[in-house]
Amino acid sequence: MSIPLSWYLLLSVALFCVGLFGVLSRRNAIAILLSVELMLNAVNINLVAFWRYLDPARMAGQAFAVIVFAVAAAEVAVGLALIIAVYRRRKTVVADEIDLMKW
Amino acid sequence: MNFVLPIFPEILLLALGVLILILDPFVKRDEARRPFLGWFTAAGLLVALTLSLLLARPAEPALVYGGMIRFDGLGFLFKMFFLFAAAVTALFFMDEEKLARRAEAYLLLVAATLGMSLMASAADLVMLYLSIETASIPLYVLAGFMKEDDKSIEAGFKYMLFGAMASAVLLYGFSLAYGFTGETGLYALALHFGDFNLLAAGVTFLVLAGLAFKVSAFPFHFWAPDVYQGAPTPVAGFLSTASKAAGFAVLMRLFTAVFPAVNADWSLILAILATLTMTVGNLIALAQKNVKRLLAYSSISHAGYALIGVVAFSQLGMTSVAFYLIAYVLTNLLAFGVVAIVGRVTGSDEFSAYNGLSRRNAPLALAMLVAFLSLAGMPPFVGFIAKFYVFLAAVNSNWVWLAFVGVLNSIVGLYYYLNVLKYVYLFRMEGEDEEKHPVPVSRPVAAAVVVLAVGILLLGTLFGPWFGFAEQAAATLF
Amino acid sequence: MTGAQILFLVCAGLILGSAVMVVTARNLMHAAFWLIAALFGVAVVYAILQAGFMAMIQVVIYIGAIAIMFIFADMLTRRDVRESRAQIGRNWPVAVLLGLLILAGLTALILAQPGVGRVAPALPSGLDPVAALGKALVSPDAYVLPFEVASVLLLSALVGAVYLAFLKKQ
Repeated sequence: MSIPLSWYLLLSVALFCVGLFGVLSRRNAIAILLSVELMLNAVNINLVAFWRYLDPARMAGQAFAVIVFAVAAAEVAVGLALIIAVYRRRKTVVADEIDLMKW
Repeated sequence: MNFVLPIFPEILLLALGVLILILDPFVKRDEARRPFLGWFTAAGLLVALTLSLLLARPAEPALVYGGMIRFDGLGFLFKMFFLFAAAVTALFFMDEEKLARRAEAYLLLVAATLGMSLMASAADLVMLYLSIETASIPLYVLAGFMKEDDKSIEAGFKYMLFGAMASAVLLYGFSLAYGFTGETGLYALALHFGDFNLLAAGVTFLVLAGLAFKVSAFPFHFWAPDVYQGAPTPVAGFLSTASKAAGFAVLMRLFTAVFPAVNADWSLILAILATLTMTVGNLIALAQKNVKRLLAYSSISHAGYALIGVVAFSQLGMTSVAFYLIAYVLTNLLAFGVVAIVGRVTGSDEFSAYNGLSRRNAPLALAMLVAFLSLAGMPPFVGFIAKFYVFLAAVNSNWVWLAFVGVLNSIVGLYYYLNVLKYVYLFRMEGEDEEKHPVPVSRPVAAAVVVLAVGILLLGTLFGPWFGFAEQAAATLF
Repeated sequence: MTGAQILFLVCAGLILGSAVMVVTARNLMHAAFWLIAALFGVAVVYAILQAGFMAMIQVVIYIGAIAIMFIFADMLTRRDVRESRAQIGRNWPVAVLLGLLILAGLTALILAQPGVGRVAPALPSGLDPVAALGKALVSPDAYVLPFEVASVLLLSALVGAVYLAFLKKQ
């Protein structure tokens, strides 16, 4: 294992910022949720890398990552259900067109 | 070590949720039995509240479940108020056609309450993140619960998108905090944040951004008006009170446990945030014509007042925040409750819908007067005592200018709260025939309104013991 | 440069390249497929980190369940994935600026920490990470409470999602 910890962390930061860009700039709600998934994956890369590099006998990092998996699944299920419900009413999932109430 | 007592309220909540799911098919077929679910949920929550008070009060603060939660007074105090707020909200649900007939609404309410209870006592990053999401995800659904209503579903949609983004940012902060200290326990983390450094700054920045969303503080407040306006009114009431209080419980614990030493550097930033939150909320509230939007902006400004107590960062400061939140939960639940009643009868939340309300239903108008004057911080209502202590805490910690800004903001607030009351008491309906347009109030909602109004008066006059509870709770933080 | 390093760099390139495609692709279906590529790259990174179980659930849960849900949602809201529409909002320069600022800030933060250049310690002999994780998740002194609460969250998310997406037959 000759890879320094910083490589993983820099990959994670870059992935996080790409996801953040997507969240802030995409207009389609599904695309925004896709970008959130990128951010959550960045977090999980951090957590697993820290588990490996800190003290592999303590499972904190992996256990945290497992919880993040569960939350991500719940969030996506509810998020997509809301998006589909919005689409049924409005025939669009473009976030800035869903503006009955002014922002 | 006893494993039941620290999570006793949560166990009861879980049992209640399961019972709701089991009962649903039996109640569904029978039209006459429908109100049963609402009464059952409210009663169940009150039973959980009573049993917890009798059996599961914390003694010495202790970390349990491998440090996942801290069994202490602050968490317990907040839990009791979440149970109370959820019981009142369940009663308000019974008046909304769509919410009342669906067991899902009550189940999600109970699940969100369970998440908030754990937020108030979480002492580990893993637990904290999970409990924040357990509180939020059911609320996304509840905000969009009227799925045939364009505005409600839009509210749920926006809340979900912003919430998902904010929690991802918060979580990234957590992952860095864990990685560079090797700890996930909040009280163990504190040892590594002893002095101000780049890591503490970065983590605090990310975590604060995520939590600012939860408590709708500047600059992450913009979602609140749309969500509160679109969500079913009882849900908006629950969002603006219990959900916000849970966010503050986390803030208080984080700032006393993890960042005590860096607080000196951060309190100025928090003070500026508090100022902006109050001022922005109040100034935009001035321009509103819709009561739900007005209450949304007012709830933003109230987050700012509560932040003053966090800035003061003393035992008195934390006590004042806890007391402020208790006062605010009671008051805002009542305000949203009245708005829900009027909205259901008139079909509108515009100011004009309130014309002549005092003649259409005098007791209801009186309840609204109590709620709005308490929000404005007038004696003898609890809002006055709450504001007084927050400002006192700020002055005692040498934040005189911040207290001054708070007082100025209260005056602005007074203006727009009175402006709404003008419609209620001075203006007449078109045709001046208010007698022909009564505003009926159903029994469960009347019960909730009376309890809240009496609570506001009681805590406003006999505030001593209640302030004592807040004091004991805040003391367990230090 | 060792084999592991080369493999890591290839994966990192795949992940970041796919991620950029996810946030810029015009066709949402393509974006979802690029997400699968990125998720797969992350699974390989877990494998390099000797977290075999994480790599497996990354494939099973993230790709097998979450990414597939996205593809279903894409198809159910098909009208909006026409490629002619601009998919990036007008405020993209702000998003780029904010992304770069946070990238710079966090990179500086990470590089300033002591010990980020270190290589991984050897796995303790006799440590079975999967068994250790399993025990940690159900041990009262570790993560049993989050583990149980996660099931409450999943149940309520299930109830909520079914309620929202359920269409009553007319």
